[in-house]
Amino acid sequence: MTTPLPRRRFLQLTGAAALGTTVLSACGTGAGASGNQIELWNAFASKDIENYFQQHFVDGYNKSVSGGNSAKVRMTVKQIDTLDRLTQTAVASGSGPDIITTSGPAQTLSFVDNDNLLPLDSYVDKLGWQDAFLPWALDTGRFGGKLYALPSNLETLSVYYNPATLKQHGWQPPKSRAEFEDLCKDAKAKGITPVAAGNAEWKRATEWHVSWVLNTFAGPEILHEALTGQRRWTDPVFVDAIALLKGWFDKGWFGGGTDRYFTNKFTAMYEQLASGKAALLFNGSWTFSEITPYFGKEAGNDATWDWAPLPSMNSGVPAGVQPLSIGVAFSLNSDCEHPAQAAAALDYFLADATRQLGYLSATGVAPSPVKMPEQDFPADIDPRIKRQYLQLNSAKNIGYTTWTFWPPKSDTYLAEQMEKVLTGDLSPKDYCAGLDKVFQEELKAGKRPPLPDPNGA
Amino acid sequence: MALLQASRPKAPPPPPAPTARRRKLRRSFIGFAFMAPLLAVNILVIAVPATQSIWYSFTDWTGLGPADFTGLDNYRRLFGDPEFRNALWHNTLWTAFFLTVPMAMGLFGAFLLSRIKRFQMLFRVAYFIPYVVATVVSGSIWESLLSPDQGIGNGLADMGLPFLDDVNFLGDPDLALGTVAFVNTWQWWGFLVVIFLASMQAVNPSQYEAARLDGANLWQEFWHITLPAIRPTLMFLGLMTVIWSFLIFDYIYILTQGGPAGSTDVLGTLLYRTAFANQEAGYAASMGVVMGLISVIAVSGFLYLRRRGWDI
Repeated sequence: MTTPLPRRRFLQLTGAAALGTTVLSACGTGAGASGNQIELWNAFASKDIENYFQQHFVDGYNKSVSGGNSAKVRMTVKQIDTLDRLTQTAVASGSGPDIITTSGPAQTLSFVDNDNLLPLDSYVDKLGWQDAFLPWALDTGRFGGKLYALPSNLETLSVYYNPATLKQHGWQPPKSRAEFEDLCKDAKAKGITPVAAGNAEWKRATEWHVSWVLNTFAGPEILHEALTGQRRWTDPVFVDAIALLKGWFDKGWFGGGTDRYFTNKFTAMYEQLASGKAALLFNGSWTFSEITPYFGKEAGNDATWDWAPLPSMNSGVPAGVQPLSIGVAFSLNSDCEHPAQAAAALDYFLADATRQLGYLSATGVAPSPVKMPEQDFPADIDPRIKRQYLQLNSAKNIGYTTWTFWPPKSDTYLAEQMEKVLTGDLSPKDYCAGLDKVFQEELKAGKRPPLPDPNGA
Repeated sequence: MALLQASRPKAPPPPPAPTARRRKLRRSFIGFAFMAPLLAVNILVIAVPATQSIWYSFTDWTGLGPADFTGLDNYRRLFGDPEFRNALWHNTLWTAFFLTVPMAMGLFGAFLLSRIKRFQMLFRVAYFIPYVVATVVSGSIWESLLSPDQGIGNGLADMGLPFLDDVNFLGDPDLALGTVAFVNTWQWWGFLVVIFLASMQAVNPSQYEAARLDGANLWQEFWHITLPAIRPTLMFLGLMTVIWSFLIFDYIYILTQGGPAGSTDVLGTLLYRTAFANQEAGYAASMGVVMGLISVIAVSGFLYLRRRGWDI
């Protein structure tokens, strides 16, 4: 038997339910800043780095604009490997933060194509960005002649090693393919893994190897031709580069074998380098923020690490090419309510060399690509880190990382399908033909990010 | 008497009195009103996104901004796409595996448990515990256990049993999919045991007693009494297994992310990569629609068999 509800009570109940539904749906629309706030979504590799950024950048900026009606920055921390997806979903639904963090030029371009970003050109002169940033780096945020993104981190690929291991076996950091292969043969014969490598934690790590091999075998000039459509990816120089990398994997030089490569983790790779079980590590500048706990007192050993420029893997390609990487960029959401103040926050976060180098020194996190005169480096910065960034700041022999300068679909193809090359399911020739097909479609559709010249101009 | 009643034409029921009709209407209205919030949430989070997905599957949407209608292009591309075929094949293998191995394990475990009285609860809890462990936790634990450097194989080799030494379960393309399925089975089969056991306990014990008097052995009891009696549960879990197998994502993503070399790629991981990494959300939506259609076909088959009178 049912007892009828009094009409008034019934209306109260259904009204409350309807309101609850509305609130729930409102919660699902994302996190735009409300009132006098600038919302920023960001992600960090560790809590220490997050705390440093919060204290020195977010809180620092908010204190600098305290008083009056200035909008304050509110930072929400997301998972590092899902930030780009979350941002894309939020922006697609018409919300998202005021300051949009993208995973570099390719993702910025997709937002630009859909009018999700505000042009920043009016702030370039006003806030002095033309003088603050390296010209090529600022250009990576220009699309259709307008500036839409400020690059947030400058990185490159290098060879990392344990000097004691190399000294013990009479090796030198390789400068040529012959030196590299001799070292690998010798290391393998001695039961040492020649190159610590693996992609268990970051599947796309395979493209780091594709990047440095393309840059050191084909060379930046030829890569520039291919990226601008003057040369096809089916060119034998690219097929040979991929075949060379595949051959090294087949010999068990990378990560101890192809199957091991798929399950090796970064922790194990750094430990192998510290313990002398691996000789070399081809990695990016992000290594500076990750490697320290595995060496020295903190790790309970007396091991040290150092880095060397990439060797040349082909005649005619000079050693020491520095593939440029912009893995993160900041833009302003077209719905941002306080664009001028958000641009001022970007200026505070990215354009000050002293602040950037302080961040680098304290955490090892890559600074934004600002001009870094030697006197701006903190006195206590690790000299190995300082050396890399001084060289990178004046680089003339620059190369191209795939995640920065390839269009998105080509980049995914390059990383995913390379696994099939490594397992023998796809030939280097077919791999390059597939890349060419995807790339030409994207090039034609205007999906390729802006490119600097190989001489650094 | 009965004949008389049957031959007499029935008088039509009197029309409900206005107050009774109003009361009935009011009851229906209250019933719908109580349903309304849930219905609203369902429309909001299921019907609207599902309709949008179907629409986007006919467009070239990148995941941002406007989308252009492209007709059946995405579906034509889908069936010529080797990546899609590869993922679909893996889902099919996954379904076949989960319809047989964990189901057989669950049935066997439940049947054995139904035969014991002491410690039955202990075993039920022990089997069920993996099911309540978060996927990310159990995935990470198994990733360590299966490591070729510090895992089970390595530990056994240290104890003088080297048969699993140097076997890289997750790094070998020939072993990876089966290994992930094994890990998922470890979590899943205890749940099946508990459900099957509950169903078996509803079987009338006198049927077993009669069978035993007739000389039936354990296998005959299981085959001729238990299995027919729990057929509805079995069929329902079979149906859900088909649906869940085509939606599998979590264990694959945690353990292999579809690798190595696409050897564990399933529709879920391919869809995710296509939508977010390749920025082809329209094409990814067409994959989602196909996944949905597979579930619809499974449910339709189930309903069809019920209508045909199958006791399921």
